[in-house]
Amino acid sequence: MRFMPPLAAVAIIALAACGASQDASTQKTAVQPNGQKLNIYSARHYDSDRLLYKTFEDETGIKVNFRESGASQLLETMKAEGENSPADVIIASDAGTLYRFQDASLTQPIESDTLTSAIPPHFREENGNWFGLAKRARVIVYDPARLNPKDVDEYTDLADGKLQGELCMRSSTNIYNLSLMGELIGRLGEDGAAAWTRSVVANFARPPQGGDTAQIESIAAGECSAALVNHYYWVRLAQSNAPAQRALTEKTRLSFPNQDTDGTHINVTAAAVAANAPNKTAAIQFIEFLTTPEGQALLTTETKEFPLVAGATLPSGLSDLPDFKESNYPLSQLGAAQAQAQAIYDRAGWN
Amino acid sequence: MLARLANQRPLFRRADAPALFAGAFLAVPILAAIIPGILFGGGEAWTHIANTLLGTYALTSIGTLFLTGLLILLIAVPAAWLVTMYDFPGRGLFEWILILPLAAPGYVFAYAYADIMGVAGPLQSLLRDVSGLTARDYWFPDIRSLPGLATVLALTLYPYVYLTARAGFISGSICTQEAARSLGASPTRTFWSVALPTARPAIIAGLALALMEAAADYGAAEFLGVPTLTFGIVRAWGSFGDPAVAARLALVLLTLILTLTWIERFSRGHRGSQQSSSKWRPLARIRLTGLSALTPALFCAAIALIGFVLPVGRLIWLSMEASEHVAPVMGAFRNTLILASGGAALAFILAVIVALTIRNASLSSRFARLATASGYAIPGAVLALGGLFILKTLGLSLTGFAALFILIWVYAARFASAGTEPLQAALARAPVSIDHAARSLGAGPLKRAIKVDLPIAMSGAAAGALILFVEVLKELPATLMLRPMNWDTLSVKAYAYASDERLAAAALPSLLITLAGLGPVLLLSWRLSRARVSDRA
Repeated sequence: MRFMPPLAAVAIIALAACGASQDASTQKTAVQPNGQKLNIYSARHYDSDRLLYKTFEDETGIKVNFRESGASQLLETMKAEGENSPADVIIASDAGTLYRFQDASLTQPIESDTLTSAIPPHFREENGNWFGLAKRARVIVYDPARLNPKDVDEYTDLADGKLQGELCMRSSTNIYNLSLMGELIGRLGEDGAAAWTRSVVANFARPPQGGDTAQIESIAAGECSAALVNHYYWVRLAQSNAPAQRALTEKTRLSFPNQDTDGTHINVTAAAVAANAPNKTAAIQFIEFLTTPEGQALLTTETKEFPLVAGATLPSGLSDLPDFKESNYPLSQLGAAQAQAQAIYDRAGWN
Repeated sequence: MLARLANQRPLFRRADAPALFAGAFLAVPILAAIIPGILFGGGEAWTHIANTLLGTYALTSIGTLFLTGLLILLIAVPAAWLVTMYDFPGRGLFEWILILPLAAPGYVFAYAYADIMGVAGPLQSLLRDVSGLTARDYWFPDIRSLPGLATVLALTLYPYVYLTARAGFISGSICTQEAARSLGASPTRTFWSVALPTARPAIIAGLALALMEAAADYGAAEFLGVPTLTFGIVRAWGSFGDPAVAARLALVLLTLILTLTWIERFSRGHRGSQQSSSKWRPLARIRLTGLSALTPALFCAAIALIGFVLPVGRLIWLSMEASEHVAPVMGAFRNTLILASGGAALAFILAVIVALTIRNASLSSRFARLATASGYAIPGAVLALGGLFILKTLGLSLTGFAALFILIWVYAARFASAGTEPLQAALARAPVSIDHAARSLGAGPLKRAIKVDLPIAMSGAAAGALILFVEVLKELPATLMLRPMNWDTLSVKAYAYASDERLAAAALPSLLITLAGLGPVLLLSWRLSRARVSDRA
């Protein structure tokens, strides 16, 4: 009896290893597996991405392995693995994160005519260290019963004293808020951004809490009347099967801010080829696949991001949104300003 | 006290080798996680955090711990006392149902309660529908707050104290309690003057485990947005991209926890009771009827309802209501069981070795115990960084055996303490005289450990192993970071859906974690209730 645990440990590790290798050997593919493989490190975790990997496998015969984790975790993992890292492709849900991978010399510049012609220059790193694939807007959601569109048509409106007690926000730690602050620092200067933050905090109806969806819920429930959210959280609710979720969007409206000035804050889901990619060719092939109409659809149908490549099909629900002017603020700078952004939020008491 | 029995001894003897080995093995990921914090954690980000946020983090952590501890005591001690000492309708059911929350991770209850209590949740929606008010017209308790976090943590962690308190009440001093009763003391007086003081070490041991768990909680604090030290650790890493600062914050947390442990030990001083007799027989429960039976029944029912039925019921409701697609979770289920078994097995072996050092005051034993306790007070996210450091030092990538082994190693370092506790409790209950007898018969320390202490400790083995299994099952941050490629686990799935703000989809994997933990927890409960009727020397 007392010798059971060590034996069990050995047996279990062996079992696990078998399980892992079984995973690698069982697959049903359209194109026969050709022995090639591709290792993806992704900070996204959508079920639809699994379908994306599977489709790529079926069409190319290249076996896809994936590690899905937080962006910071993936970064440290790659640093620790160093030259031994199996990572070929890095996918992150914002440009700021890829800047950090690039800054740590974990990406490599890629020359691909397919990618440079498909992706507008603003949405890729100039040397090809990363490529934007889908975009999103950080918009203001508001209660039309309490506010006019004019009250919330600029990000700076949120700092206006007449919105006192009207704002719901999520935590500043969230990457969407950090990236927006990155742009505000660039547009308003550090002091201006800090003043904006202090005024916004003074307008809070309650301390920052919950995700973007929770802010929409709060507005629908009448707890506050404006919040910052990514457009797709609202669209997903509008497209939901659950009547209660659709009802949330009937009580709220989206404002795409700064139409008369710099345009609405944009960020991208982007991919990079890892610096030590063992399967560099397959990695480029995969990113190129993501710019095809099929790849764009697989990437955005579930997430409700905007496809980035001209001619790609718009996911359902997005056509109801207005055309809007996008900010052309350099995406790389959002990542560079991240620590500064968090420090500004911290000093203003925005949790 | 036992330490003082020991004579002057050399710094290291051969018999200390197992303890030294176990301690060193557990200490490697811990040191690897923390040393970068000491060496490199002093950059700009640290200065900023120390100036603007460290005070908030520390106070929030202390406040959360205090409130969680208080709530746990208020829930667990009366509940344990009632089901042990009285007979009332439903007692048999409550006895085991009250353990069930042990199977649910804190973050799962955080999801459930954030939904139940949230502004769009069923309670507030009903309130608005009935009253016609909007959310700004009324006050409603905010679950996303320090008291909310403390409540959620207390509801998932009270079973630790419930279990140890019950064991304390059962085995503590039945004879003294009978003596007290025969002298005419009321049950209440017996509780305050006899039962509680004798059960105090057991209660404190359970509370210490629960509070360390609460201190290292990441999922619930993050989801509820309460800025505890652990929350700050994740922020330092995420926003400032500086894991060394995260490690330094973890060091602050560790210092805080170890200080609390030492204060507790110091305040306990020489007090405590020693059973001179191992004679044991069941204490007749006092049968309650009528109105006097109603209060305990209602109290236990309320805990069972709030602490388990309601959150789990809400998750079931959500997962049924969600007609949205949820990925197949059977693979994740299998992977979870593999990791939990492997992690629990390794942690258990180490826990046994460390537990056997309880009678030992050598430097090696103290080191082993310190290492074990430290691991339990460090958030999994930071220990996982230690795992990466080992990986880097060995020049490996996070694939295949290396990934599995490092993850299981981190589990062991993180949780061994939870397995050590029941083993040590079993040892502590056995009279020291047994050990003295073995010593007088000329048995060496190693022989005494194997021939005398090990069989005694093994009476707590099932409890230790089951708790370890459930702990690893629920673990999130280290699993998220170190699991092998292509591996989903239930906790990772639940976290992925929840962080994508799809709570309904997160409900199913959350329920499955709870379900997987229920088996072991029920087994544990069954063994413990049998322990009351089976006599044991």
